[in-house]
Amino acid sequence: MSESHVYSGAHLTCKVLLEEGVDVVFGYPGGAIMPFYHALPEFPGLRHVLVRHEQAAAHAADGYARASGRPGVCVATSGPGATNLVTGLATAYMDNSPVVAITGQVSRAMMGRDAFQETDIVGITLPITKWSVLVERPEDLADVLHEAFHVARSGRPGPVLVDIPKDIQNSRIEYRGAGARTAERRHPGRAAGAPDFEAAARLIEQAERPLILAGHGVILGEAMDELRAFAERSGIPVITTLLGISGFPEDHPLHLGMPGMHGEVHVNRAIQHADLLVAVGMRFDDRVTGNTAGFARHAKVIHLELDPSEIGKNVPVDVPLVGDAKVLLPHLAARLRPRRRDEWKAEIHAQQREKPADHYRGGLSPETILQSLHDSTGGRVNVVADVGQHQMWVAKLFPYRRPNQHFSSGGLGSMGFAVPAAMGVWLARPDEPVWAISGDGGFQMNMQEIATMRQERLPVKLAIFNNGYLGMVRQWQQFFHGRRYSQTPIWSPDYVKLADAYGIPGWRVEASDEIAGAIDAALRTDGPALVEFVIEQEANVFPMIPPGATLSDVIESAPAESVSA
Amino acid sequence: MSDWHALTVLMDDKLVTLNAAVGLLRRRNLPIRNVTVGPALADGTTRLFAMIETDGGTAHRIAELFRKVIGVQDARVAPADEAVLREAVLVRLKPAGGDAYAELLDVLGLYHASVVEESPDGLVAEVSGPASFVLSCVRALERFGLLDVARSGTLAVDRPVPGPAITQPSEMPVS
Repeated sequence: MSESHVYSGAHLTCKVLLEEGVDVVFGYPGGAIMPFYHALPEFPGLRHVLVRHEQAAAHAADGYARASGRPGVCVATSGPGATNLVTGLATAYMDNSPVVAITGQVSRAMMGRDAFQETDIVGITLPITKWSVLVERPEDLADVLHEAFHVARSGRPGPVLVDIPKDIQNSRIEYRGAGARTAERRHPGRAAGAPDFEAAARLIEQAERPLILAGHGVILGEAMDELRAFAERSGIPVITTLLGISGFPEDHPLHLGMPGMHGEVHVNRAIQHADLLVAVGMRFDDRVTGNTAGFARHAKVIHLELDPSEIGKNVPVDVPLVGDAKVLLPHLAARLRPRRRDEWKAEIHAQQREKPADHYRGGLSPETILQSLHDSTGGRVNVVADVGQHQMWVAKLFPYRRPNQHFSSGGLGSMGFAVPAAMGVWLARPDEPVWAISGDGGFQMNMQEIATMRQERLPVKLAIFNNGYLGMVRQWQQFFHGRRYSQTPIWSPDYVKLADAYGIPGWRVEASDEIAGAIDAALRTDGPALVEFVIEQEANVFPMIPPGATLSDVIESAPAESVSA
Repeated sequence: MSDWHALTVLMDDKLVTLNAAVGLLRRRNLPIRNVTVGPALADGTTRLFAMIETDGGTAHRIAELFRKVIGVQDARVAPADEAVLREAVLVRLKPAGGDAYAELLDVLGLYHASVVEESPDGLVAEVSGPASFVLSCVRALERFGLLDVARSGTLAVDRPVPGPAITQPSEMPVS
């Protein structure tokens, strides 16, 4: 047995973080987490990034986790520090991102007495974490922390919160090392039967119009190569969901695009005409399916999914294959004969639309901006999108050819995600440029993090698509609420001056011929930089499936009654 | 098709696990009848039982969701009509004398109830059986003067449903 040492709870927390491979933590100090911050300088292997708001710490940890594949860590004090993490944890929960949140709690003797900055953060976060746990005894601390990392990254990943009372952080604790854990792990999971590959292979062989729907699980499970091999052998075209983007190269002849509410017409039509869907690591979100009653009515469904509770949740499944896509896909591919399916591919592409030349009605075209970003970086860039119209443009118009280079808040749709998450992405991949692309609404939700980037020397490039509106809500108001733009016009500060105030360079781009120059200048900047793109105010995202409608009910231009004279 | 299902969950004997389990049930927003929580046979283990009204596929998925909760050891569902369901009731009655006492004992005998405590303050009887049976007993005892009634809630021993139902979703509202 290894020799034991005595540590303070705070020192032990830092030591366990190092043992779990953590090299960066995002946090904000406060009363109940002060022992941790007292110990932290003695652990130079833990880089601490001082954010300006705890929500940003959670988003940054999330970004780090998505880009690195390893748990991201955020730290906050009790009370408001902990509650400020909530949106970030919910975002990570919905998108299955392995985040470990460590919160200080008031001392055990004060708990339940409405002490200063006491809040039941375990109770608050139970529904939005894989596990939320209060450390009840000093001797449990190391085991609980190790367990937290195990839970966060195992199976279907997700966030975990560990709440550590201040007196436990100050306790003297004997520790024998990571190998001497006493906690018994009990994660029952499901005693799944053997996957019926033969049944799945039969459906694929019989299908004339099959499609692959690839989701976030492909990226989380690092099954990109296996997906590609499976698609190439079976000849089945590949559709990537919002979070499945960059799980399959977009210059591949089998790649089709994004499905659902803002999916391309030919993609949604293909789904509606398909006779088989092979869903891989996706959960048939309502933004993908539209009204499920009219979704892919001619298609049988094979669902490869790690989480058995997802099988049959939203659409009927003919053959469930429960397990890891990286393991399952080669087994399935091995049972298939090579096919080309040229007729089916030609039928799909015959439906593909040319975009009208005046698609964006003056102003800057998002397509030109994103193409310019691709050209300037040679595609070697990590793109972090916020939530709204620009999110859809970023998803649809940038040609993603490298694995896992697109990041966004898909499930929760958290505005304010991009700016802080981009910090985490850059820290996970410091050798590649990172662009946070936000709308003027979402940018103002977490723009305080420019100060973090400046202080911590994080060279994130910030793009703002400024149309003076909360654009996606405005678009819905235009289409479905008689152009009543209720509380969607939004004022912005002078972003160039804002950048200047934070001591970083900033550019405002209003003409197409200025786009490339501004992007290049930002990329040349040795540090964070900001570029504001002034977008046509009433630009819309097309096509669009109205909420509650089926994928066949597509809107390809603004309804006549919604267009101003 | 919606139907009543018996849901049994075995979990660590910790309030936070129970809290998570109840939260999971609440979030489904399903009709729920009778949530019962008590100790399981194994030390440190709590047994939660609930009757939920839903289709077989959703019931099975709910069991899978419970299995994902850290601290839950096992979860299973069965159609309610395939489970053995029983309830126990303790009834405190006013003191009875003379003919009334003899009549009370007759009623208790009719329901196979037994007297577990008798004092000058009254009498405590216990009865068990299907919920309708024990409630019938309680109604029969009302005329003797009920002071208190404690119901255990329904307890069940079940058989798990077979797996294939998992692949079918419930009907979803259009939104």
